Amino acid sequence: MTQILFHNINKKNLHTLEVYEQEGGYQGLKKAFAREPDEIVEMVKASGLRGRGGAGFPTGLKWSFLAKDVFPRYLCCNADESEPGTCKDRELLLKNPHLLIEGMILCSYACKIETGYIYLRGEFYDLCEIMEGAIEEAYAKGYLGKNILGSGFNLDIHTHLGAGAYICGEESALLNSLEGGRGEPRMKPPFPAVQGLYEKPTVINNVETLCVVPYIVNNGAEKHAAIGTEKSKGTKLVSVSGHVKKPGNYEVVMGTTVREIIYDLAGGIRDDNELKAYIPGGSSVPMVPADQVDTPYDYESLQAIGTMLGSGALIVIDHTVNVVETSLRLASFYMHESCGKCTPCREGTRWMWQLLNQIQTGQGEAAHVDKLVDICDNMSFKCFCPLGDAAVAPVISSIQKFRADYDELIEKLTANPAV
Amino acid sequence: MADDQVTLTIDDQTVSVPKGTKVVDAAKSVGIEIPVFCYHEKLGPLGCCRMCLVEVEKMPKLMTACTMDVGPDMVVKTTTPKVEKAQKGVLEFTLLNHPLDCPVCDKGGECPLQNNTFKYGPGDTRMDFHRAENLKAGPLSPVITLDRERCIACQRCTRYSEVIEQDNALVMHNRGFNNEVGTFNNEPYDTRFSGNVIDICPVGALTNSQFRFKARTWDLTNSDTLCAHCGCNCNMTLGVRTNKFMRIEARPNDLVDDGWICDKARWGYDFLESKNRLVEARTVPDNGTMVFSSPTTQDAAVRTAEAIKKIVDEHGPESVGFIGSPYGTNEELYLYQKLFRLGFGTNNIDHKTYADSPGLPIDHYDVSEIETADLVLVIASDPTEELPILDLRIKKVVTRHGVKLAVLNDQATLMDKYAHLSLRYNIGSDAGVFAALTAAISGEGMADIKTTGIKADQLKSLVEMLRASKKVTLIYNSSALTGQSVAVLKQLMAMIKNIPSIECGAIPAVPHTNAVGAMDMGILPDYYPGGVPVADGEAIQQTWGETAPTQPGLSAMEMIRKAESGELKALLVYRANPVVDFPGGKQVEEALKKLDLLVVHDMFETETAKLAHILLPSNGPGVDDGTTTNIGGRVQFRKGGLKTAHPPDWKIISLMANTVSEEGDGINYITSFSVTDEIAKNVPGYAEISKKSIKKEGMTRVSSASINATGAVSKESSPPKPEALKLRIANYLFAHNTILDATSTLAHHFKPSIVHMHASDAKKLKLKNEDDVVVVSGDTQVSAQVEISNRCNPGGVVLPNISDEQGVWGLANSRDSVTWVEIRKV
Repeated sequence: MTQILFHNINKKNLHTLEVYEQEGGYQGLKKAFAREPDEIVEMVKASGLRGRGGAGFPTGLKWSFLAKDVFPRYLCCNADESEPGTCKDRELLLKNPHLLIEGMILCSYACKIETGYIYLRGEFYDLCEIMEGAIEEAYAKGYLGKNILGSGFNLDIHTHLGAGAYICGEESALLNSLEGGRGEPRMKPPFPAVQGLYEKPTVINNVETLCVVPYIVNNGAEKHAAIGTEKSKGTKLVSVSGHVKKPGNYEVVMGTTVREIIYDLAGGIRDDNELKAYIPGGSSVPMVPADQVDTPYDYESLQAIGTMLGSGALIVIDHTVNVVETSLRLASFYMHESCGKCTPCREGTRWMWQLLNQIQTGQGEAAHVDKLVDICDNMSFKCFCPLGDAAVAPVISSIQKFRADYDELIEKLTANPAV
Repeated sequence: MADDQVTLTIDDQTVSVPKGTKVVDAAKSVGIEIPVFCYHEKLGPLGCCRMCLVEVEKMPKLMTACTMDVGPDMVVKTTTPKVEKAQKGVLEFTLLNHPLDCPVCDKGGECPLQNNTFKYGPGDTRMDFHRAENLKAGPLSPVITLDRERCIACQRCTRYSEVIEQDNALVMHNRGFNNEVGTFNNEPYDTRFSGNVIDICPVGALTNSQFRFKARTWDLTNSDTLCAHCGCNCNMTLGVRTNKFMRIEARPNDLVDDGWICDKARWGYDFLESKNRLVEARTVPDNGTMVFSSPTTQDAAVRTAEAIKKIVDEHGPESVGFIGSPYGTNEELYLYQKLFRLGFGTNNIDHKTYADSPGLPIDHYDVSEIETADLVLVIASDPTEELPILDLRIKKVVTRHGVKLAVLNDQATLMDKYAHLSLRYNIGSDAGVFAALTAAISGEGMADIKTTGIKADQLKSLVEMLRASKKVTLIYNSSALTGQSVAVLKQLMAMIKNIPSIECGAIPAVPHTNAVGAMDMGILPDYYPGGVPVADGEAIQQTWGETAPTQPGLSAMEMIRKAESGELKALLVYRANPVVDFPGGKQVEEALKKLDLLVVHDMFETETAKLAHILLPSNGPGVDDGTTTNIGGRVQFRKGGLKTAHPPDWKIISLMANTVSEEGDGINYITSFSVTDEIAKNVPGYAEISKKSIKKEGMTRVSSASINATGAVSKESSPPKPEALKLRIANYLFAHNTILDATSTLAHHFKPSIVHMHASDAKKLKLKNEDDVVVVSGDTQVSAQVEISNRCNPGGVVLPNISDEQGVWGLANSRDSVTWVEIRKV
């Protein structure tokens, strides 16, 4: 299977500049500097690369939206990987930090940016140190700083550790946090491409997205565009977790079926249990029942069955699970992580958790489930940022697709309250 | 249609509004209400409460009307089932953990949450769990009570702190459901403008501690009135119940206050019920000839008039005088000058001790002109302490409208932080700087400014800034200038006006409530109302009759001196306290004691009132009606609120006038507006002012004809002793005085006496921070603590006037020149 990010990921000392260069690292720079910045943007557009953070927005297009002739501009690498189930960026940061730096240099050159930030989640303290070590090496070798490789192009990269808030993975909350403010999402418009960090045009890309850029520059847009499906190009890192035998990060070509990922790559369900459901793209996307396990893993196919590819975290649930508990755990997460800015999310996430907890602990009634459905409707698309919708997704999908689980719990506990 | 207009459809109505208008405001403009909590037009959009969701055609999901700009041909629907379901849903969330203690909540009856719930909300809740518990009624400051249970986290208050006050004193703490409003380290939120958060809180989370549990809002009788504390004349509502003062709220008037009031306006009205109030007329029994027994106010007024008249008859009109007040209303001041000029035949009329005269060589700008300027030049003014609402307005235009700010002052102020250029001249060097600046603009080149403390390149930068501007708004405080330098400043204004590309106007920013009105009403020894000079005999006789005096009278300080020498026999002091507020202190007191007759007409038992032979009570603001003219020249109506049996001042004064009216042709005014109408007739510039014309948002009067200011820079005085330093008396907003007495709600703002001096001077005098010292001038000493800072240049000290008791004005000999003081360690 084609791999563009993980082909050498376990190479010893890949995180050092020496090994990274031996592996062909930083070759993209000279190629890029030989071209006009706009050509790189066009190249990334032609490659079909889409944002790997969750929304799947075409990367080249995003870069081309930057407000014309407004400088300075900033690049923010979103390394606030906090989506439950997701740990792909962590592996890249840990094992291949120079790949990210190279991607950031290429992006900055293409977008005429001279300052880049890597916003890492607070828990990535050790990764931040690795990243800083790599940045130091890159400066020493002249890959960062003034007049990189004699090109006349300058770039500084800084790391920034968050303080442990999931919401800061949302791009505008990330900007607020980076500026030293509260981690709360901003109003859009203005979009970051027009007024982002310090009110200047800003590109915000996920770690994985930026890491794909050197491949495109080195091998050409066509090569990348040839991988994957018609609209979902390239490969995707999938963090497989839950009830599989071999959980972990896998790089798959877009369009590989979920079945292949679960059974071939991740070794199948634990204890050879039955698959009950899976969540394909991190906790923020609707769960899918087992009968749709043959869905190809790409943006369009997953959207077609009412869910999303999201951040690429495949959470596998086997038949021993009652999804009420899954919902409850996720509701607890969203209640904890709601920033509290908008009313429906702040109040709704807590109310949902209260109701789910009531059902889970045996005080539930069928009417509570209907109430949950309505609360979900009152939150859906009415919150300030996507966190509210994300909080709704697992709950509403679990009710829609596994209502029986709720009824079973309510009946069982009503019949035998002592349990 | 103009390019900047956008036409859209809201609920089938066609609406045309300027580009950039939010949908919620566009709807409002045609009477369609879209409910909001977090949105406030002065704070701009936030979009957090989600109350204003509407359907917009071609948009897949509901949109927040408060964050969305209008677009051409946009079709907005605010009452569809989808919208109604969303509104009910949002209100259910909002109320989920709200305590619903409306029956005991001060906000009840005027609560947006209550109103929106009735109008748009679900009839019931589906919340079965215990509502969250939190801080129920804690002090956010000594004057604001915070109820965290009622808070709906709309962030209006914290954004007010961030966007309007710009000091981020109030912030959101914690995350998600635990979001709460608070301050750093739980310190009190006691800024100068904190009270506005009470008005903008859409629930009862932030309430006025003074008003707490005093009345239900619907039981209040509200008067639309003005604040009487400073020259801004902010609009406010006075709430009264059973003729007792209850509370004050802001009453937005963008042309005056931009919607806000300072905390002194909100909580500085305890004086209405002060024990120190003068409530009945009195005479001092053991004062020889002047014994009246328990007079009524009317009796006392009649006898006052007779007694002054008697002195006039015996000693001539020059033997009597009137010291008025920049705190009186136009009507009161107008009637008093008329009484003294026509009734007693004297021009011994004044209201101030600093130099200034009516008229400006440039336009008199309304306060709102600050918004349209591209350069605001603040001279000798400290808006934050003197005219606080101006502080908010300047911060707003500088930080949000890209207006440039230049500051020229002898002391550091909070404005410096916002200034693009801040020049600090030496205390007493004001005239030299103005003259140098005038010369530099005229192209005469750079004068020698070594002694002013300002460097040539700084002055050059200021000239460049001026030249690069299209519209300059100049804000200056003549009461903070020394000697005659206001005349030199007016020459500078004339020079700026000469720069062809510049449109220029000034706001005379004397702090006192009706300082502009007092000048306009001719409370001056050398000008009749409307800035008509006494020398203009023809004009004066035409308006005021044959007998109107045309000799210049005595200024306030001259009257004090003539009282001392025995030449002035009788003085009527109206709502002024020369013993405390005039230069001279003890000397003023001794001079007043020598008068045959001292009449004090005041609201309080002041230090001056204690010396009076006759005391006339004054009702003052909160009770009496009248108009005042703010620093922008805007005349507004200050309505009373509390009722009283005591006659209003205008009645007392007109009774005096009728008593001495020789032909018996006294005028019986019916209301204060009868006097206003006479002002319109007799005072140039006030012709358009009437009850009707000023009703809504006031009206600017026409400024006096421009004048040719003449003034020369006098030689700077040299120190009497080598270690002497020049004194600058600064203002402090919350000074402890008759208005804010010991029982004041704002007593927590009172400050100790501090003398600010430069490190180099402190070193010379071997003083360090917190040393106890006395500031000495002649026989007068003022205690203070040393604070070493850059508040002024070396060679001077800044002494904020923090209380009456402190007695800073006793240090000054006069306003003619700078006062030298010695600092002695105790």
